[in-house]
Amino acid sequence: MKLLHLYHDIMNLYGEYANVLALRDILRKGGADVITEKKSFGEAVDFADYDFVYVGSGTERNQKLVLEDFRRLEQGFREYVKSGKPALWTGNSFEILGSSVTDASGRSYDGIGMFGFRTTEQNKTRDTSDAIFEADFLDRPLVGFVNKCSEIQGIDQPLFRVKMGLGNTKDGTGEGVRLNNLFCTHLTGPVLMKNPDFLVYVAKLMTAKALEPNPLAENGYAITLRELSGRLENGTN
Amino acid sequence: MKVFFTILICRLLRFVGKLIGKGSSFPGQVALKLCPDILSRVQLPAYIIAVTGSNGKTSTVEMIAHILQKNGKRVAWNREGSNQIEGVTTLVLGSSTLGGKVKCDILLIESDERFARYTFRYIKPTHYVITNLYRDQLTRNGHPEWVYDALADSICDGTQLILNADDPLVSCFGQGREDVIWFGADKLSSDTDTLQSAYNDGAYCPVCKKPMTYSTYHYNHIGHYQCTSCGYRRQDTAYTITAVDLDRGEMEIDGKYRISLALKSLYNIYNILAAYTVARIVGIDGAEIAADMSDYVLKNGRVITFTLGNRHGTLLTSKHENSVSYDQSLRVASAFKEGCDVLIIVDAISRKYFTGDVSWLWDIDFEMLNCDNVHQIVLAGTYVNDLALRFEYTGIPAEKIRCFADINEAADYLGNDRTEYIYAITCFSDKGKLLARVKED
Repeated sequence: MKLLHLYHDIMNLYGEYANVLALRDILRKGGADVITEKKSFGEAVDFADYDFVYVGSGTERNQKLVLEDFRRLEQGFREYVKSGKPALWTGNSFEILGSSVTDASGRSYDGIGMFGFRTTEQNKTRDTSDAIFEADFLDRPLVGFVNKCSEIQGIDQPLFRVKMGLGNTKDGTGEGVRLNNLFCTHLTGPVLMKNPDFLVYVAKLMTAKALEPNPLAENGYAITLRELSGRLENGTN
Repeated sequence: MKVFFTILICRLLRFVGKLIGKGSSFPGQVALKLCPDILSRVQLPAYIIAVTGSNGKTSTVEMIAHILQKNGKRVAWNREGSNQIEGVTTLVLGSSTLGGKVKCDILLIESDERFARYTFRYIKPTHYVITNLYRDQLTRNGHPEWVYDALADSICDGTQLILNADDPLVSCFGQGREDVIWFGADKLSSDTDTLQSAYNDGAYCPVCKKPMTYSTYHYNHIGHYQCTSCGYRRQDTAYTITAVDLDRGEMEIDGKYRISLALKSLYNIYNILAAYTVARIVGIDGAEIAADMSDYVLKNGRVITFTLGNRHGTLLTSKHENSVSYDQSLRVASAFKEGCDVLIIVDAISRKYFTGDVSWLWDIDFEMLNCDNVHQIVLAGTYVNDLALRFEYTGIPAEKIRCFADINEAADYLGNDRTEYIYAITCFSDKGKLLARVKED
């Protein structure tokens, strides 16, 4: 199997490379031959070669550069998603897949258009929060962190329900978006390393096997969920 | 009269606050309520020197104050580290006469990088030192470009910028300015030809976003860079570290001033250089500065030597959520030729706000500890599982690593009959839990 870490050297603000390591290692433990590849600006990508595609979060300026570069790869990626193979885009990366991104100066950039949503950035406050998100397809919630300066309008069917943290819009309870097995969420950092259930779920899409997560990840997850839940119950978040 | 009463009340509150051991922001907060433009109504000294950046602010400011005071200058500075506008207001009013004249030769301000734009609306620095911009407390601050934009808003016309030439993002503040004073390091014996870091924030030019190359790296993405496309490059420096020998604990500035180092870290030499640069600009002789800085031990409690059982060690306070800060401490431990054990604690991620985010562990170059100088590694605290998971990817043999959720158990374990020196690496939020168990030297 081949895993692709796309824009690895520019969309990587929060240790996101660990997502690819987590998936690589659970697949290897399940007996698969796995190689990982990194690609960035200007490099040719044949998505048909890959079984998983990951893109992480970057600065607002870098996201715009990636948007321009990705136009040449857009068609191949649409077909990849249509095939049902899994992909994960975290942080502000997935905003480029919508219909537009408007920056803090009011300049609007045409998005890739795989989704109809529209993103609007501001440059006054950083919106940050620890997060607990629930998903229909997972027994236990996800934990993580959101760090953004944007709102996303026009997502009718979000990926997650927000129990704690920030959703697509300031007043909504929906977060992220899904198309086939393309998972998009504003959670930052090593989402798959921190959330063993989500990792197992993605690995099952690829192998049809229920694989065992790393026990340290399992313990780390339980403690983070405990800490965040305690915070939520105290109403201090 | 308004100025008089505001200063009087601020000073009274500060006096009471000191008696009961309260923080130094509150008096300034009250003063700003009473007279919102109080800072523009006091008479300021000829030198107003501000220092900001992700790392090293507090240490640099302490060193500047030390040198200037040694050389007979009257310095007012925010030694309590209250670096937002309220704390700065307390500092200024606390140092002024009731008539509103600040009684010092130099006002020295450590300024929080996010709030500088508000503070400097009222107090325009004559000199503005920017040390570095790293990934720092991303859960609160935002990424370095976000902080850059906030800082850009804080730079006033007529302020003399003093910039770290070796930091590509910081150097952008000097774009299109003629009068910038640059400090930095020549190629050093401790440099590397390739990047030593878990990530590369110098991969792309901060100006045109095309790839950058480095002729030498001092640490992480700090070094001699040049853009392959737009010509943006590291500037020549007016004040320069010309040599360093971390083993012997010596540095040399401007080819002639030798300073022996109480703390053998690259961080320390940059802080010393920034302090040297400011002191030179104020008119202090280079040889005097070198004498004042030689073997200078910081008093801000960031580096503490201790005894635990029969063992000796040093606590290197490092900032959680700041990988460059951790990398510096790891470099000190991994360079310890006599051999050491390393304790890392991640228990409360911040003392100022809550977060459970541990993404930043993946940005730290823990691989540095995979060396012969480091014997045993003890991981401790609430987030010990996340630490241990991160360490699985370092290639360090599992038998060298011990994990304890409970910091007391980790301390019990370390107080054993081993003889290795201990380097303890943790943050402000967690260091007290260790210090409660050791004897400070």
